[in-house]
Amino acid sequence: MTTLSVGQYLDLVNQSLRVIPPDILVEGEVSDFRVAQNKWISFDLKDEKAQAVLKCFMTTWQLKVQIEDGMRVRVSGYSKVYERFGTLKLNVQDIEPVGEGALKRAYELLKKKLADEGLFDLARKRDLPRFPERVGLITSRDAAAYGDFLQILNNRWGGVDVQFAHVHVQGREAVGEIVGALAHFNVLSEGDRPDVLVLTRGGGGLEDLHAFNDEQVARAVYASKIPVVCGVGHERDESLCDYVADSRASTPSNAAERVVPSREEVKYEIENMVSHVDGQLEDAILGREQIIERATNAFEKIFQRQKDRLVHLRETLSLKTDKWLPWFRERVNDVERLLRQVDPTRVLARGYSIVKVGGKVVRGVASLEVGSEIAVQFAAGSADARVCRINGRGQQRFV
Amino acid sequence: MPKKPPSFAQSFQELEDITAWFDSQENVDLDQGLKKFERGLELAGQLKKKLSEVENKVEEIKKKFAE
Repeated sequence: MTTLSVGQYLDLVNQSLRVIPPDILVEGEVSDFRVAQNKWISFDLKDEKAQAVLKCFMTTWQLKVQIEDGMRVRVSGYSKVYERFGTLKLNVQDIEPVGEGALKRAYELLKKKLADEGLFDLARKRDLPRFPERVGLITSRDAAAYGDFLQILNNRWGGVDVQFAHVHVQGREAVGEIVGALAHFNVLSEGDRPDVLVLTRGGGGLEDLHAFNDEQVARAVYASKIPVVCGVGHERDESLCDYVADSRASTPSNAAERVVPSREEVKYEIENMVSHVDGQLEDAILGREQIIERATNAFEKIFQRQKDRLVHLRETLSLKTDKWLPWFRERVNDVERLLRQVDPTRVLARGYSIVKVGGKVVRGVASLEVGSEIAVQFAAGSADARVCRINGRGQQRFV
Repeated sequence: MPKKPPSFAQSFQELEDITAWFDSQENVDLDQGLKKFERGLELAGQLKKKLSEVENKVEEIKKKFAE
């Protein structure tokens, strides 16, 4: 018989416990989940049917998924009896939710945590370059996503330099490889760095998509200096990387559509710009023509006004002439009538005669001498005569 | 070293700038306008030529990725 102290005995127990292979997984339901000082995690793992409890212990940095009470999990690690409390505890090395319900719950919890931290903020999303020259593609060469992406890329656009990083998109290596590939592109010098990164894979259940829902991968996408497009699975599928990425594509093909424009659209746009500029230039020329036309019109108006004035003047003038002419005619008639009245031939016709000496009309006797010759003009004919007496004096009158 | 030819993005941007210039002018200067129009046509021709490039080049990175 050997006698041991309690401590010695517990050491022996602990040594015996190491015989248990480390790859054994223990499955149960989480209860009494606690975090102390943001560092130490403790919870009970229970069987629902048999009333069995396994006390578990781990640190926060070991915990890569979100755990809460009621969740079904599988844990691995090694057990130890803690001397001070005399209790057996499982030191958890790895823990993973089991079943779609638990995975979904873990996913929701992590999603909320990252959202609260601001990893999904729309304000931090960067615009993708419209015409990328270099694209970093992160996916598996064996996945349909690889072929789909490149096919759509070729259909839409050409001349892109695709740098392809082959990674596992599921399984144990996936997280490390994806994080490594993101790091590879980000440490390149600015000149060699791709313009955009594409992280893509086909669809699947939560278990298949675990790498795209991994906190480490999500944080690496968040930290990327190069804009990231994430495209996972089919239309309905979503992953945490989708939310963190700058652009979220619904499928690998859609990722290609987001990364490059379509030739046809760009061609149409170029043609539109040219015809727009062409139209603008034509408008400018038309504008000049209109100015010239307006000036011509203005000159024409001035000429027309002058012409109108001339016509008006002429009209006014002829109107005045019309008034003046009858008046003038009347005056002429008056004078004519007057002249006609004083016409000496008419006086003679009435029996008067005109006496002239040396061609001059005699108006009185002063210019006459007795015996001088005078000419007498009658209405019909004329006669020469001699003056016998002037006012009764002169030659004797013959009786 | 020969000067690197302008990228598609640069040429496209220049064409966009020319279009924007025409939109920003109240009265387009005909001399300047014609020059810009000619440049625009030249760019459009170059861009369309680049559009006819069919192939994208894929180069696999020979490296094992890990954390």
